[in-house]
Amino acid sequence: MDRKSVIKWIKEPGKMGHKYSLWAVYFCTGCGIIEIPPVITSRWDAERFGVIPVATPRQANLFMITGYVSLKTLKAIIRTYEQMPEPKYTVAFGSCPINGGMYWDSYNTIKHIDKYIPIDGWIAGCMPRPEAIFIAVTKLWMMIDKGAATGYIRYRKNYKFYRRNQEKLFGELAWPPLYPIDEKEDESE
Amino acid sequence: MKVVEFVFSPFLAFIIGVFFLGLFRKIVARIHQRYGPPIIQPLLDVIKLFHQKGFSHGVLFDLGLILSLAGSIVVILFLPFAGICPLKSSGGLLVILYMMLFLPLGIALSGGEGANPNISIGISRKLILSLGYEVPFLLIIISVMNFYKTISIVDIVNSQGGFRWALFSPLFFSGIAYFMILPAMLGIRPFDIVSAPQEISSGPQVEYGGKYLGLSHIQHAFSIFITIALFVNLFLGGGENIFFFFLKMLVVFVSMVLIHSVFPRLRLEQALRYLWRWPTIFAFLGVIVSQIMR
Repeated sequence: MDRKSVIKWIKEPGKMGHKYSLWAVYFCTGCGIIEIPPVITSRWDAERFGVIPVATPRQANLFMITGYVSLKTLKAIIRTYEQMPEPKYTVAFGSCPINGGMYWDSYNTIKHIDKYIPIDGWIAGCMPRPEAIFIAVTKLWMMIDKGAATGYIRYRKNYKFYRRNQEKLFGELAWPPLYPIDEKEDESE
Repeated sequence: MKVVEFVFSPFLAFIIGVFFLGLFRKIVARIHQRYGPPIIQPLLDVIKLFHQKGFSHGVLFDLGLILSLAGSIVVILFLPFAGICPLKSSGGLLVILYMMLFLPLGIALSGGEGANPNISIGISRKLILSLGYEVPFLLIIISVMNFYKTISIVDIVNSQGGFRWALFSPLFFSGIAYFMILPAMLGIRPFDIVSAPQEISSGPQVEYGGKYLGLSHIQHAFSIFITIALFVNLFLGGGENIFFFFLKMLVVFVSMVLIHSVFPRLRLEQALRYLWRWPTIFAFLGVIVSQIMR
């Protein structure tokens, strides 16, 4: 907890700000969202860590994917993720986004979410306890401190990979690419 | 010396407004039996927001926000803060009354460029709500100006010196009416219909991100300062020094937070019905009583 260390604030105000004011977007996917209301209300108070839920992706910088991701939800997840301002951090919550969990043989559920959007951290378990979210938040602080939470940079760098995976799933996407894709490189491969 | 005041006054307003925002979250957390964020959390949020990438939706999207911010800074220059009043001679209550319109108007201009349906709903709610509280507010201002026979806010503060507060004078009913419309002017519960996060995704701020949201937070801090400082100046007799002025503001603000944390949100027509009934009756009574007992 170096929230009060003045030297770090003067040196890197942006990084410290991103660390201690993580605003999570209200986006409920699957059953994991049932663990979020106790986290943000009186029982486990997430606000003491600076984590508050905000109503729109424009204001948020933390995206929690809670529970299984169906094909339809993935479309909304990608659009929400692309609307968030940089830098943005993603945390996958529960075992379903990791490998499908109990939906491992479902035809309609995404098994590996990090093929479609970059993930900074994973919380395993079915369901993880609310305390796991705080462990994840403190881990995310350490990652931001070391500069290891680079999901949004990876997304920009490998946008062609992510976009190709998304198009493989949905066919033609209804929205234009977020970053310019160089078509010439594609042909040379 | 004058130049120092011009810089010092908005700076002080920013510090106090941000402190109030932090205190707001802390008190609400304690009422919920939570620990709550650190008291400097709004400052951390603003620092973060200025280091985030923002999306602009057009020229007016930027300019409206700046207009709103500039309007609030100009109002602060006209407000006496414990003897510090940079634009003392040239203003008065009328200027403050005009310039306070810029605060919702700038946000409305800026949001209109965003082209999000939630913004339109939020702006229409904001303008209707301000229509609701402007009626009693104008009556209150008229009764105060009529009672002290001046439009200069510095003179009004000076004539309340030595515990002759307007709240304990024939202007009592006007003070009560101002206290009743304060939650609507601050935009807190039961009147937070404008930025209802659960209904319309925080209303006019939907498309704000990054530094736009940071500026909007600063504007919110300024508007909290303006509304409460005006109440303290008009009815609680200003202050002999900065400490007493701040103490009076703190008392008013904490009572507002207590109101915020126990009431649910009203619907728009319920809010309008309330604002045009009880505060208006009290304000009208204040006009009549202060005219008779002058």
